[in-house]
Amino acid sequence: MTSLIQDPLLWILLVVLVAAVVAVMRARRTNMALRRKNSDLQSAREAVQSERDRLYAEYAQLNAQHAGELAGVRKDAEEDTKAVLKSAMRTLQVLADEQQLIIEKSQRRYGDDEQVLGDLMMIDHTNSQFGRRAQGIAVLCGGWLGRRESTASVYDVARSAQGRIKHFDRVTINTQVNVTVASRAVEPIAVVLAELLANATNYSAPGTRVDINIQAVPTGVCLIVDDAGLGMNTEEKARASVLLSPQAPVDITSLGDPPKFGFAVSGMLATRYGFKVSVDSVSPYGGVRAVILLPENLLTTDVPEPEGGAAKAEPRTEVPVAPQRLTPVATPGGPPRPIGTTAGGLPKRRRRGSPVAVVPPPPEPAEHNNEVTASRIGAFQRGTLLGRDTTTMEGPQDQ
Amino acid sequence: MNAHGEEAPVTVAGDFVRSYVITGGRRLPTADDLSLHTLVTLAPDRELPLGSSPEVRAIWDLCGGGYLSVAEVAAHLSLPVGVARLLLTDLFEQGHLLRRAAPPRAQSVDRGIIEKVLHGLESLYG
Repeated sequence: MTSLIQDPLLWILLVVLVAAVVAVMRARRTNMALRRKNSDLQSAREAVQSERDRLYAEYAQLNAQHAGELAGVRKDAEEDTKAVLKSAMRTLQVLADEQQLIIEKSQRRYGDDEQVLGDLMMIDHTNSQFGRRAQGIAVLCGGWLGRRESTASVYDVARSAQGRIKHFDRVTINTQVNVTVASRAVEPIAVVLAELLANATNYSAPGTRVDINIQAVPTGVCLIVDDAGLGMNTEEKARASVLLSPQAPVDITSLGDPPKFGFAVSGMLATRYGFKVSVDSVSPYGGVRAVILLPENLLTTDVPEPEGGAAKAEPRTEVPVAPQRLTPVATPGGPPRPIGTTAGGLPKRRRRGSPVAVVPPPPEPAEHNNEVTASRIGAFQRGTLLGRDTTTMEGPQDQ
Repeated sequence: MNAHGEEAPVTVAGDFVRSYVITGGRRLPTADDLSLHTLVTLAPDRELPLGSSPEVRAIWDLCGGGYLSVAEVAAHLSLPVGVARLLLTDLFEQGHLLRRAAPPRAQSVDRGIIEKVLHGLESLYG
C-alpha cells in the first residue's frame, strides 16, 4: 500500500484526474456561457433585422413619396412652362397671321411689279414657316390652331402644307381624288402634313424630290408622303410611333436640343382630331413613307369655296363650263337626297344643305336651262363686244 | 380679323394656298409680255390639260366666254397680277390662249371744235 502511495504514478494520475475534472467543469461553464451569449446574440440579430426591415420599408415609402412629389413638381413646372409658352405663342401666332394678311394685301397692291411681288413672296414664305413653328409649339403646349371657316379640297390642303416648309419646290402632289376636308380639320391636317413634309425634305438629299400621293381608301383618304432619304432605324421608328400615338401630354423638354417637334405635334393633333399618322413603312425611293389616314368623318361632300368665291360666282352663272366643274363634287349622294341621308357628323349634314341648294339644279329643267344659258351667254358676249367697241368710240371709263 | 379671346380658337383669315406655291417658286414674267390691259381669250377647240391646277381651271372657265383683260382675270381669281400673269403666260406658251393688245385709247377731242361743229350744224338746220 505504502508502495502504492509512494508510487509517483498514482499522484500523477490523481493530479491529472483533478485537472481533468476542473477542465471539464470549466469547459461546461464556458459552454453554458457561450450558449447564453449565442441566444442573446440571436435575439439581438432578430431585433436588428426587424429594425432593418422597418427601415427598408420606411426608405421605400420615403423614396416613393419623394418620387411622387418630384413628379408633381415636374408636372407643375411643365404645366407652368406650357401655359407661359402657350400664351406667348398665341401672340406670335396672331402676329404671324396679321403679317400674312398684310403681305397678301401688298402682293395684290404691287402685283403688277414682278420684282416687288417676287420679294413679297419670299417674305410670305418665311412668314409661313415662322407661323408653322409657332403653331407647332402652341399645339405641344395644349393650345389651339387657328380655325378655317371654309372647307378646302384635299389638294388645296396639300398645297397649303407645301407652302409652310422651306424646300416647298421639291414637293410634288399627285392626286386623283376629289374630296373635301371639313373646315374644322383643314388647318390641323395642313399642319401635320407640313411637319411630315419638313421631315421628309430635311432628312433627304437636297436635290431629291418628295412626293405626296393622295388616294381614296375604303375608310377615308390617305395622304402618303415619300422621300428619298436614308430612312429611319428601328430605334427612331419606335420613338416616332410612341410620339405619333401619345398616351399622355408630351414633355416638351424631352424633345432634344434643338427640339424635334414634328412627330410630337403630329401625334397630338392626330389624337385630338381623330386621324392617324404612321411612319413605319419604307418609301419606293428607299426613304421614309409617312401616311396620314383621314377617316370619313373629317371629310365632307361640300363644295369647297374657292378663294375669292364671291368674285367667281358671277362668271359661273354666265359660262356653261363652270357649273360642270362643281357637279362631280356635289353629286356623290348629294342632290338626289339632300336631307342628310349620308353618313357623317352632324355639322356636316347641316352645312351641306346650303351649297347644294345653290349648285346646278336637278336635271329635269335641263333643256329649258340650256336655252336660258345659251341666251345668257349670247347676251354676255354681245355685252362684252359692245363694251369693247364703246371703249374705242367714247373713250374708256377710267379716263 | 383675329379675335384675341383666351381659349376660343382664333379664326385664320389669310389665303389658304400661298401665291408662291401656285407659281411653284418660279420666276415671274415681266409686265412687258402681258400688260394689265392685254386682252386674252381661250383659243378655239382646246382641251383643258389633264392635272391642271384649280387656278388654271378657273382661268379656263373665265376666258371661255370672250376676251378679258389680264387685270380682270387676276381680280376674278383674287390673285396678285404677277401670279395670274405667270399662269396666263404658261397657257399662252402652250397655245391655249389668244391675246390681243388693248384697244387704243380714244383721242380726246378739243371741246372747242365740237362746239364749233355743233354751232355750224345748228346754224345750217336750226
